[in-house]
Amino acid sequence: MHVDYWQEIREDRLGRIGLYLILLLALLAALAPFLAPYPPEARVGAAFSPPSSRHWLGTNDVGQDIWSGLLYGARTSLVVGCGAGLLAGTISVLVGTSSALVGGFYDSLCMRVVDALLVIPPVLLAILVGAYFKPHLLTLILLLAAFLWPGGARIIRAEALSLKEKKSVAAARTFGAGSLYIMARHIVPDLGPVWLAVMIQDARRAIFMEAGLSFLGVCDPTLHSWGKMMQQALEFTYLEVWKWWLLPPGLALSLTVAALSFLSFALERILNPRLRGEREDAGH
Amino acid sequence: MLVIKELQVSFGELIVLKGINLELKKGEILAVVGESGAGKTTLGLSIMGLSPGRCAGQILFKGKDILALSEEERRLIRGKEIAMVFQNVEDALHPLYPVVDQVMEALLIHGLKDKKAAQRKAMDLLKALGLSEERTHFFPHQLSGGEKQRVLLAMALANDPEVLILDEPTASLDAITRAEIIELLKKVIREKMVLLITHDLSVAAKLAHRVAVLYGGRVVESGATQCIFTFPRHPYTRGLLRSYPNMTTVKDLQGIPGPPYKPVDGCPFHPRCTQRVELCFREVPELKSLGDRYLACHRGGIIPLLEIKALSKSFNGVRAVREVELTLYEGETLALVGESGSGKTTLALTIMGLLPPDKGEIWLEGQKVLLRDKGFYQRVQMIFQNPKSSLSHRMNVWELVKEPLDVQGWGSEEEKLERVRKVLEEVELPADDFFLRKYPHELSGGEAQRVAIARALVLNPKLLIADEATSALDASIQAKILKLLLSLQEKRGLAMLFITHDIALARKVSDRLAVMKNGSIVEEGPASEVITNPKHPYTRTLLSLAADLKEEISILPVDAQRPK
Repeated sequence: MHVDYWQEIREDRLGRIGLYLILLLALLAALAPFLAPYPPEARVGAAFSPPSSRHWLGTNDVGQDIWSGLLYGARTSLVVGCGAGLLAGTISVLVGTSSALVGGFYDSLCMRVVDALLVIPPVLLAILVGAYFKPHLLTLILLLAAFLWPGGARIIRAEALSLKEKKSVAAARTFGAGSLYIMARHIVPDLGPVWLAVMIQDARRAIFMEAGLSFLGVCDPTLHSWGKMMQQALEFTYLEVWKWWLLPPGLALSLTVAALSFLSFALERILNPRLRGEREDAGH
Repeated sequence: MLVIKELQVSFGELIVLKGINLELKKGEILAVVGESGAGKTTLGLSIMGLSPGRCAGQILFKGKDILALSEEERRLIRGKEIAMVFQNVEDALHPLYPVVDQVMEALLIHGLKDKKAAQRKAMDLLKALGLSEERTHFFPHQLSGGEKQRVLLAMALANDPEVLILDEPTASLDAITRAEIIELLKKVIREKMVLLITHDLSVAAKLAHRVAVLYGGRVVESGATQCIFTFPRHPYTRGLLRSYPNMTTVKDLQGIPGPPYKPVDGCPFHPRCTQRVELCFREVPELKSLGDRYLACHRGGIIPLLEIKALSKSFNGVRAVREVELTLYEGETLALVGESGSGKTTLALTIMGLLPPDKGEIWLEGQKVLLRDKGFYQRVQMIFQNPKSSLSHRMNVWELVKEPLDVQGWGSEEEKLERVRKVLEEVELPADDFFLRKYPHELSGGEAQRVAIARALVLNPKLLIADEATSALDASIQAKILKLLLSLQEKRGLAMLFITHDIALARKVSDRLAVMKNGSIVEEGPASEVITNPKHPYTRTLLSLAADLKEEISILPVDAQRPK
């Protein structure tokens, strides 16, 4: 029963690529202040300068360094992704396990709320809410998490329902354990991998949605974001600059989302024993 | 009629008999049973007026108090109206006289003057008791044990006494001689008042109409023999029966916990009793009438620990448990036997509160279970079918065995460690740090089983529900684990609901047996009774198909075949 998830992810080709990409992005984002040659908002050169040794990716319409903007944009994307993923994942676990364990009316109520939230197109609503609030980083995370948790809650509930039937849980009940104890000691530890998968999924969607919202200009305009960069670049597609202004944030966004998708794929393969069996080195 | 009232006998400080009230009616045999040291022989000697101790109270015989009589008056009664057959045949006969002379002596002492007539009478008596004529002139050392016993009986019967006291009349006799003596006794002691002192329950069962169980110098239970032996209500009586090897009961022998009687305050049996309460330490229980018997126990005898009343449970219209009524007494094993799908596990899970019942009630220690709180689970524990799956793969042995204590919020970590080590030792597992750090997948089947049992026992429950607890194990390991459970039952008074499909196994571990079929209890009774005399065809089927070592293949009886 003991599966070393890291080991498994590293052995999976897609998983390995995803993992290394994410690590690379995280490293770049973390070291942005050291790696970026200029502060992202400073006007450091002539407008629309092409890539050169001073400005690797040139400058934009007001003379800001695009490479620096790209690095700082990675920070936003990752913070929003991790934050919203973590928050949404946690809400999913709390709602999913509690409704699985408590059952009855509470369970029905939770699941109906989840259904109701799932039918709302999140991007549309996010645009509406965003347009009103012009959300800053923290509020953006909260907003995204609020839209993301219902999907995860269903998955977690289904998993918790099957975990709850384990004999070890029944045994704990016969020691007099309450639902809180069982949740903390027996259900949540076994949910770990599923939780991780849900969180990665949520993070991927959060990053995508954040970029989308920024692209549409409904976010706090001071946020350094790939989406915002693309929005601004889009106005100047008749010039040559789109090659180094529009493409790099688009590629970076695609890479990030792809890396997270790869990780999800790998995790799903590991968690689903039927898919596991297809691996060449099955039996390990 | 001989009436003993509030008899107390003491040797110095030591009180050997206390508050004895007994009645002997004409034509009735009363057996006094108990372990050695219980005061049985002292009781017999007191009635004879031969007890060396100080006697108080009254022994009324024909309206006279024997204890108040002078020694002279007592001698007239002794041997003539009240006679005793002494224990230990070797010492009771004089080695230098032929046995017929010794019987004659008894006659001469009590008035018969003619020596010739006395000798003839003695000879007749010995012959009537089965001694051949030439052997009546033998010396005691020339006779066998059984023959000596007959001589002693002849001496006691010589003057045709009204009261006969038999002290261990069959001790140290082989089975065949014993059977002969019992047969003989049955014949010769009619129309007398007989006090039969014995530790041999079989003799008591065969001869006595009533039986009084003596412990620590007190009568703890008395009543009609069959009633007492079939349904003992005092824990001591049950202990005696459980430790007595015989062909009627089928359960493995079990002793009574603790050392033999030492003088204590309160109920004499409380140091060895598994259902004692605080009151038992302080007050001596009175011998009270319970209708069919007299019983001295503060708790009213062996208490019904678990009562299941009209319990029903169905799944999607399928009635898994139908109107089940069961009572489980303290310290006993009730085996629930039936094929798979008969509703045994559903019943267990419903008792544990893991499934809600549709109907019916569950009572624990005389109180209806309304809510299963920590207190309930402290008293009732369960070992699950296939126990390995009940162990979380994320916890090591230490965490697993500690888990019930964690849940119950019991003690500090050090106390928990001590308790865990103790219970691991009890289930014969290593209690060292290395073992405590092992995870379930590193344990063998037998070890995992023991860990599961340790988890169930660590809270010191009164009731253990064992659901096919050993069915996945090798017979050799199963045997060890069952021995372990039985020894815990003996030590702690653990009551067990033992769920199994194996009637051969149930026979070895259970006091009572309930057979379940399609959710109903079709037969219930003492295990021996159900095994030897099954009433329901389904029980007969189970028995005929139970494991044996015979060559023939058991065939399903026609009336029990499943509809095709």
